Amino acid sequence: MTSAHPPLAPGRELSNPPTDGISNLRFSNHSDHLLVSSWDKTVRLYDASADSLRGEFMHGGPVLDCCFHDDSSGFSATADNTVRRIVFSHGKEDILGRHDAPVRCIEYSYVAGQVITGSWDKTLKCWDPRGASGQERTLVGTYPQPERVYSLSLVGNRLVVATAGRQVNVYDLRNMSQPEQRRESSLKYQTRCVRCYPNGTGYALSSVEGRVAMEFFDLSEASQAKNYGTFATGGCDGFVNVWDGNNKKRLYQYSKYPTSIAALSFSRDGRLLAVASSYTFEEGEKPHEPDAIFVRSVNEIEVKPKPKVYPNPPA
Amino acid sequence: MSTQRIDPLVQVETTCRALLNELQIIWEEVGETYADRDEMLLELERECVEVYRRKVDQANHSKAHIRQTIADSEAELAAICSAMGERPVHIRQSDQNIGSLKEELRKILSQVEEMKKRKEERRNHFIDVLDQIEMIRNEINGSTESVSSETVVDETETDLSLMRLEELHRQLHELLKEKSNRLKQVQDHLNTLNSLCSVMGMDFKLTATEVHPSLGDSEGSRSISNNTLEQLGTEINKLREVKIQRMERLQDLATTMLELWNLMDTPIEEQQKFQNVTCNVAASEHEITEPNTLSDDFINYVEEEVSRLEDLKSSKMKEIILKKRAELKEISTKTHLIPDTQLEDAIEAIDSGVVDAATILEQIELQIAKVKEEAFSRKEILEKVEKWLAACEEESWLEEYNRDENRYNAGRGTHLTLKRAEKARSLVNKLPGRVEALTSKIMAWEEERGSEFLYDGTPVLSMLEDYANLREEKEQERRRLRDQKRLQGQLIAEQEVLYGAKQSPPKPQSAKKGSKQCTGVPSTKKVALGGPMLQAHKLDSVNSLRISQTRSNKKTEFMLQNDAIPASPAFNRGQDIADAPFRKHPSNGVNTNEIESQLKTIPTNDPSNNTMTPLKTISSVDEENRKPKAMHSTASVQMQTDITPPPTLQTSLVEETHEEMEQSFEEKRLALMHSDKQIPSMIQV
Repeated sequence: MTSAHPPLAPGRELSNPPTDGISNLRFSNHSDHLLVSSWDKTVRLYDASADSLRGEFMHGGPVLDCCFHDDSSGFSATADNTVRRIVFSHGKEDILGRHDAPVRCIEYSYVAGQVITGSWDKTLKCWDPRGASGQERTLVGTYPQPERVYSLSLVGNRLVVATAGRQVNVYDLRNMSQPEQRRESSLKYQTRCVRCYPNGTGYALSSVEGRVAMEFFDLSEASQAKNYGTFATGGCDGFVNVWDGNNKKRLYQYSKYPTSIAALSFSRDGRLLAVASSYTFEEGEKPHEPDAIFVRSVNEIEVKPKPKVYPNPPA
Repeated sequence: MSTQRIDPLVQVETTCRALLNELQIIWEEVGETYADRDEMLLELERECVEVYRRKVDQANHSKAHIRQTIADSEAELAAICSAMGERPVHIRQSDQNIGSLKEELRKILSQVEEMKKRKEERRNHFIDVLDQIEMIRNEINGSTESVSSETVVDETETDLSLMRLEELHRQLHELLKEKSNRLKQVQDHLNTLNSLCSVMGMDFKLTATEVHPSLGDSEGSRSISNNTLEQLGTEINKLREVKIQRMERLQDLATTMLELWNLMDTPIEEQQKFQNVTCNVAASEHEITEPNTLSDDFINYVEEEVSRLEDLKSSKMKEIILKKRAELKEISTKTHLIPDTQLEDAIEAIDSGVVDAATILEQIELQIAKVKEEAFSRKEILEKVEKWLAACEEESWLEEYNRDENRYNAGRGTHLTLKRAEKARSLVNKLPGRVEALTSKIMAWEEERGSEFLYDGTPVLSMLEDYANLREEKEQERRRLRDQKRLQGQLIAEQEVLYGAKQSPPKPQSAKKGSKQCTGVPSTKKVALGGPMLQAHKLDSVNSLRISQTRSNKKTEFMLQNDAIPASPAFNRGQDIADAPFRKHPSNGVNTNEIESQLKTIPTNDPSNNTMTPLKTISSVDEENRKPKAMHSTASVQMQTDITPPPTLQTSLVEETHEEMEQSFEEKRLALMHSDKQIPSMIQV
C-alpha cells in the first residue's frame, strides 16, 4: 500500500537508541521525555524534543515494558521476573517486587496510586510504590488470569487485561476481587495489544493478524457511532496508519519505517509521535534493520477525522 | 341709252327714271287716264314696296340667321368649354357693340373652331392616357383583352377637364410606378431565382420560362401580371425549400463527416478537400450562395465520401473490437475467470451485420470494466489461492522428496533441494492456517458479491474443501499408523524392561535413515511433515529414547509418563531429542543463521556425518492453548545437568496442529535468547 501523500521523512531519528530490540516506549504526561524499554536490558530516558539521552538504567534481563510515574521516576517490567522502580535523577532503580515468570506489562494508575503488572505467570499484581521496598510491603494484591498476560491498559478506574488464548478481562480498580467483565477477543488470532479509549467508553484490541477490533464496555454505547476517535496503529509491515474509527477509514499512512513498528506513543499534547522501528521477531530469528526511534511532528490534518459528506443517522 | 360708267346704283336709278319717262311717254301716247296712270304708278309703287319689303325681310332673316348662328356657336362654345372644364372665354356681351354681327359671328366661329381643336387635342390626350392606363392595367391584370377605346372615349365626352386629365395622369403615374415596382419585383425574384438555381445547379432560363415565357428572355418585356408574380413567388419558395432540404442534407453529411474525421483522426490534406462543405456546416440558408454548392451532383459526391468514411470506420471498429476481445481474454485468463461466450458469439456475428459494431464495442468495454473490477476484487484472494496452489505443489513435491531414499546423498544440488525441502515444510505448516484464512476470506467475498469465487471455472471453496478432506484423510492415516507404532513401541519397551534391551526393530521401508539411526547416537530426528516420515520419526524417537533409556532407567517411567500425557508425547520426545544433541554434541553447532520464519531448525551440516539430522520444530499461528508447564517440567527433569532449562522451543508436530502451544513474539524471542545463550555454554562443556 503506498500513501497518496508525498513521502515525508519518517521523523527525526533519536540518537543513542537501544542496542537491541525496543519493547515499548512512552511519552511522559508532563513533558516531552520519552521512556524506552529494550531487549538490551536497559531502560533509557530521552528528551525527545532536544534529542538527548537523559539516563540509562541497566536491568537484570530484557525489559519488556516501562511506564512513567512522573518526570522524576518510572517503573519497568523485566524478563527476569522483576518489577522495578527507576528514579531518574539518582540514576538507580530498586525492585518493587517479583513475579514467577517474566513480567510482560506494567502500568501506573494515577487514580489508584498503584502500579499494575501483568506476567506470563498468569497473574496480575498490584503494587503500592509508596510503601517501603520489598515485596511484602508493596504488593497490594495478586489476581489470577486465565492465561499469560500479553497486554494491559488503564483508563480511569477501568483496567483491561488481554491474555493468551484471546481472553480479555475488564476490571474495576476499586474492586479487583473479580473481573467486571470476562470477554473473549472478537478477533480470530492471538491478541497483540489492548488500549483503552481516552474517553473511557471502551478499548481497542489488535491481533497478530493485523486487525483492530473496537470494543465498548457498555454495549448500549456501542450503538453510538460518535464514540470512536482517531487512533494510530503500527504493524510489522513497517507502516504507521492513522485511522478514523468513526468512519472506519484510514486517514493517513506515514511512509514506511525500516522495520516492524514495535511501539507507538503520542506526546501529552498530541504534537509528537514517537515510533519505535524495531524488529519484533514475528518471523523468528532473521537479519533485520537496526533498531531506531523516530520522533515526528503530527499534523492536525493527519489525525483529524475527515468530515462525513452526510450526517450520521440518528442513533 | 348710253352706257355710262356710273355707280350701278345710279345706273339703276337712272334706268328707273328713264323707264319712268318712258312710261310716261307711253302713257301719253296711249293716252291713259290720269287715274289709270296714277293707279299704275301706285301699283308700280306698291310693287316696288313689295319688292323692298321682300328684300328687307330677306335681310332680316339673314340677320336673324346670323344672330342664331352666333347664339348656336356660343352655345357650342359653352358646351365645349364646360366639357373641357374651362370657363367659357367668350362671354356674350350684348351691351357692347364690339362690331357687326358678321364680325361677331366670325369671331365666335373662330373661337368655336379653336375650342374644337383644343377639345380634340384634349380628347387625344385623354385617349392617350387612357390607353396607357389600359395597357398597364392589362399588363398587371394579365388579361389580353382590351377595353375598346371608343367606350373610353365615350366617357370622355362628358368630362374632358384638366382635373380629370390630371387625375388620369396621376392614375397613369401610379400605374407606371406599380409597373416599375412589379418590374423590379420580378427582377428581384428573377435574381433570387437565378441565385437559387445557380446554387443548386439548375437551369435558370428553363425554370424562369416555366413560370412565364417572357421571363426567360433577358431582353424582352417581362410579364408583370399578378399571376406571374404569384407564380414567381411560389416557384421561389419551392426552390428555397429544396435548397433548405439540400442544405440540411449536406450539413448532416458534413456533420457526419466531421464526426468521422474526428473519430478516425483523418489527415488534414484529406479534410481540406471538403473544406467548402464543412465550412458551411452551421450556415443558414441565405449564407450559401456559391454556385453548385447544393447541386445534386455535389451532394452525391459528398454522400459517397461519407459512405466511404463510414466503411472505414466500421473496419476500424472491427479492429478495435478484436483488440478488445484479446484484452478481455487476457484479463480473464490472468484472473482465472472464464470469458463470456455470449460476447464471443456476438463478435463473430459482426460481419454478418446482424449485430451493430458500436453496441458490441460498448458491450465489450462494459465487460472489460466489469472483469477488471472483478479482477481487482479477486486480486487479493487470487493471490492467496495461487500461493495455496503453489504450496500444494510444494507439498506434493515434498511428499515425493520424502519418499526419495537418496535425498541425503551428497551430490550436486543436494543442498538446494534440502533448502527447498525446508522451505516446503514451512510452507506446508502454514497451509492449514492459510487454508482457513482463505476459506473465510472467500466466504466473505462470496457473501459480499453474491456469487461464487471461481478459478478457471471451478468454485474455489469446493477445491479447498476437497483439499481439506484429503488432508484430513492423510492425517487420520498418519495418526492411525502412529498410534500403531506407539503401541508397538510401548509393547517393546515393556518387554525390554522385563527382558532387557533388544535389537532395534526393523525400520520401516520409507526411512532410509535406518543405518544412521543405529549408530547409537541419539541423532536428532526429522520432525517431518510427510506422512510416512512421521512413522519413521516415531520409531526413531523410540529408538533414541530407548537408547537413552538404557543409560538411565529412571527415565523409563518418565518416558512412559510422557506417553501418557495426551498432549503430544512425541513433542516431548522431540524436546528430549532436542536436548540430547545439546548435551552430547557440542560440535556441529547449531547453525542459527538458517533458522527460518516461524521454524526453528537446527539443520544438519553434513548429512553424511550421521551425527545430526535436522530437527524441525514447528509452530503455527493457529494454535490453541497448551500447558507449557508440563513441557517445562519434563525438560527440567530431563536436563539434569543443565543449569537453566531451555524454555519452550516452540516445538510441536504438525500432526497435532490443534494442540500446539500459543506463544507471543516476546516469548519466542526470549526463548531464542536463552537458547542462544545455551549453546555457547554447551560448547564450553
